Amino acid sequence: MLLRDKLHSDPGFQYIIDALNLISAAGRRALLDFPFLTSPEAVNAELDNLEAVIGVVSVTENLHTVSEIKHHLMCLHDSQGTVANLSQHSVINEVELFEVKNIAYTAAAVSRSAEPLGLKEIFSLPDLSDVFSLLDPDQTGLPHFYIYDSYHPDLPDIRKRLKQLQARTDDPEAATLYADLFAQHNDIQHSVEASLSQKLWASADRLALAVKRLAYIDLLFAKAGLATAWNFTRPQIAVNDGNSKSKIQNSKFTQYSALFNPRLLHRNQERRLRYQPIDITVEPGLCLITGANMAGKTVLLKTLGIAQLLTQFGMYVPAESATVTLVDDVLFCIGDEQNEMNGLSSFASEIIKISEVVQLSATQCLLILIDEPARTTNPVEGKAIVQALSDILISRGSLSLITTHYSQLGVPCRRLRIAGFREDLATAALSPENINLFMDYSLVEDNSDTVPQEALRIATLLRCDETLIQKAQQHLTEESNQ
Amino acid sequence: MPFLKNILSCRSLSIVGLEKNTGKTVCLNYVLRRLHELGVSTAVTSIGVDGEQTDSVYATAKPEVTLYEGMYLITSERHYLQRRCVSEILDLSNQRTALGRLLTARILSSGKALISGAAATAILAQQIDQFKQQGVQLTVIDGALSRLSLASPTVTDSMILATGAAVSPNLQQLISKTRFVCRLIDLPEVEPAIRTALSQASSGIWALDSDGLAHDLNIPSVFMLSSANSDLFRYGTTLFASGAVSDRLLKILAAKDEIKQITLIIRDFTKLFVTPEVYNDYIRRGGKIMALRKSHLAAVTLNPTSPHGYALDSHTATQALSEALNLPVYDVMKIESIS
Repeated sequence: MLLRDKLHSDPGFQYIIDALNLISAAGRRALLDFPFLTSPEAVNAELDNLEAVIGVVSVTENLHTVSEIKHHLMCLHDSQGTVANLSQHSVINEVELFEVKNIAYTAAAVSRSAEPLGLKEIFSLPDLSDVFSLLDPDQTGLPHFYIYDSYHPDLPDIRKRLKQLQARTDDPEAATLYADLFAQHNDIQHSVEASLSQKLWASADRLALAVKRLAYIDLLFAKAGLATAWNFTRPQIAVNDGNSKSKIQNSKFTQYSALFNPRLLHRNQERRLRYQPIDITVEPGLCLITGANMAGKTVLLKTLGIAQLLTQFGMYVPAESATVTLVDDVLFCIGDEQNEMNGLSSFASEIIKISEVVQLSATQCLLILIDEPARTTNPVEGKAIVQALSDILISRGSLSLITTHYSQLGVPCRRLRIAGFREDLATAALSPENINLFMDYSLVEDNSDTVPQEALRIATLLRCDETLIQKAQQHLTEESNQ
Repeated sequence: MPFLKNILSCRSLSIVGLEKNTGKTVCLNYVLRRLHELGVSTAVTSIGVDGEQTDSVYATAKPEVTLYEGMYLITSERHYLQRRCVSEILDLSNQRTALGRLLTARILSSGKALISGAAATAILAQQIDQFKQQGVQLTVIDGALSRLSLASPTVTDSMILATGAAVSPNLQQLISKTRFVCRLIDLPEVEPAIRTALSQASSGIWALDSDGLAHDLNIPSVFMLSSANSDLFRYGTTLFASGAVSDRLLKILAAKDEIKQITLIIRDFTKLFVTPEVYNDYIRRGGKIMALRKSHLAAVTLNPTSPHGYALDSHTATQALSEALNLPVYDVMKIESIS
C-alpha cells in the first residue's frame, strides 16, 4: 500500500500532503510512492531521519546551506524515462545525455553542499564523477551539454566547413554542399550518441539510485519543513512484547495529547474562531464515542485517522505528544457514502463498507473508524446492526472507534463522551456561526449506556422554528408517559 | 537600417502577423540577422499554440529561422533535435508542450532551427524576465496566427505587425483592416496616477470619480452588464474594464445619453475584441477609449504577395499603407536588399 492509495481517504489528510513543499518532480513521485510502513523498526528509522533533518534545518547557521541544496534540487529534471532507457540499453539522444549529466552534476553539488551538515547516511549519494567526466570532455564543470568537438576527430573540421558554407547559403551550390555536410555531421553526432550511451549503460543503476536518493532528500526536507511550520511532533511508537500473537496485545496504547486537525485549525484561525485540541487514549478493542450534535465526533475520528496515516508514512503528527500503535491499515467509514451513479443508496454503500471492515478485521490489525453506522435506516434494525458490529469488533485485536446516537446498546465496551454543550461558556447569543464557542470538545470516560439527548436543546438555541420544536417536545412527553 | 533603431532600446519584441503568409518569418529572420550584425545579445522563442498545431499536422510546415552564434533559443525538444546548427543545451524545463519539453540552448555555430515555445503568455513573460537577468539585451518572440495576446505590453515592450495581400487582395480593404488594428494599438495611454489608482482593480468594472479614486461597480464581468444598469455612472463617466471588452459593452455605452462624456479605460489593446463597425460607431458618438498601457509599434511590414498567387504592386501598396497609418511600412520581401 502506497501513499497514493490513501491520498483520497480523507480531505484533511490530503490537505496536509498538499502542503508539503516538494521541489522536484522526482520528489513528488517519491512522496506518492512512499509505502505505508507497518514495522516499528521501519517507522522509527524513518522518523530518526526526519528528526535528524529537522535538527539541521532549524539551526540558523545552516539556512544558507539548506537553501543551496534546495536550489540544486530545483535544477533536477524529471529524468525517469531517460534512466529507464539507459537501463534497457537503448541509445539516448543529446537531450537525454544532457539529463544524465544533470543528474551527475546535481548529485555532486548536493553532496558537496551537504557536507557541513553531517548526516552522512541521509545525504550519501552514489559517486557519478566518471559519468560527469564522460559528458564533460572539455572539463567545463558546467551542467550544459552538446556533442563536443572532442568526441570525434572529424567534428572540428566538419563544423568549421559548415560555418564557412553557412555564410554563403545564397549560393545554391554552397547550399547543396551545406546540406550534404550537415547530414554527415548528424551521422557523426548519432555515432557519438551511440558510443556515449553504450558507455553509460553500466551506470544506469547508479543513476537511478542517485535520482532516488535525491528525491528522498527532497521529501525529507518537505516533511521537515511542514513539521516545523505546523508544530507537529514526533510520535512514539508503541511496541508489543513480541510474545503475543496479536501485534498490539500487551502494548502501550495509542495516546495523543493536544491532538488537532490542521485543516480545521487553519479554517478556524482564518475565521478567528477558537480551536480546542483534544487528549485521547485509544485501546485495542472497541470504543463507542457519544456526544451531542456538533460536538465534533466525526472530526475526532478523522483526526485520529490522519495522525495514524502520517505516522505510518514516516511523518510527524499534529499533537503536543503522541504514542501510536502501528496497524496494518486505516479504514475510514465516514460520511454519506451515497452514490447515485452506482445505483446504491446511502445505506447500501455503508453496509457494504462495514461488511468489508468486519471481514478484514478477522485477519488484520486495523484502525477502524466508523461514523454513526446504520443511521440511515430504521432505528430498530439500525440499533441491532450497531450491536452486532460492536459484538464482533470487541473481540477483535483492532482498534475500533464507533460514534453513535443509539442508547441502550448493552455492549460491554469502553465509552467516551464528548463533553459537549456548555451554556456557561456562552459569552454571546448563540448562532450557527459561533456555536463552537459553547462547545467543550474534551473527552470524558462514560459508564452509562445512554447517550446525551441534546438535539432539541441545540435546535432551540439555533432558533429553529418554534412550532417544530414544540411539537417534537410534545411527542417526546407523550412517549415517555406511555 | 530600417526600424532596427526603434527596438534597440526595448528588452523584448514580438512579431505578430495579421494573417498567415504575411511574411512574419521573413521579418524575424531579418531582425535576427541585423541584431547579430549589431552585436546585440539576443534570445529567441515563440508562442506555442499555433506553432504546435501547424507542426503536428504538417510536420515541418513552419519555416525555419536562422540563428547566429551566441544567441539564446527556447524551443521544444522535438524541434531542437531537428535543428541544423551547432548549439549547447543549457536548461530543460518541466513545461511540457505537444512537442516535448521546452529547453534553453545557446547557439555555438550559426544555422537554422524550428522555434516553438510556451503556449501561455505568463510563461513567456517569465522567460523574458529570466533572459533579462542573464544579461540578454533583447528577447524576440515569434508570434502565431491569431495570437495578438503576446503583443500585450505586459508581455513584450514592443511589436512588429506583419500584414499583406493575404489579409485582403483588395488594397483598400487591406489598408482599412490594418489601420483598424493599428488604431487600437495606438490608443492613448492614461496618466500614471490613474494607473496607480486602478492597480488594485483586478476584476469586473470600476469607475473613477472626479478625485481620481477607483470604485468597484460590483459588476463581475462586462458580460453580465445589461442596458438596464442605470447607475453605471454613479461615480462618474470614466469606467475601467479589467478584462476583455466586446462589442456588447461598446454598444451599451454608445446608447447612453452620457456618451459624449464617457471614457472607457481598458488594460491594453489585446483586451479589445470589437468589430470596426461597433468601435467606429462608439467613437463617432463621442465616446473615448484609453489604455492602461500602450504598446510600442516598432514597425509595420507588408508582404505584397498572397498565398493564392495575387500580388499587389509593392511600391504603391507600401506607400498607400504608410500614408494611411502615418507610419513607415516596409515590404518584407525587399527588406533584405534595403539593408
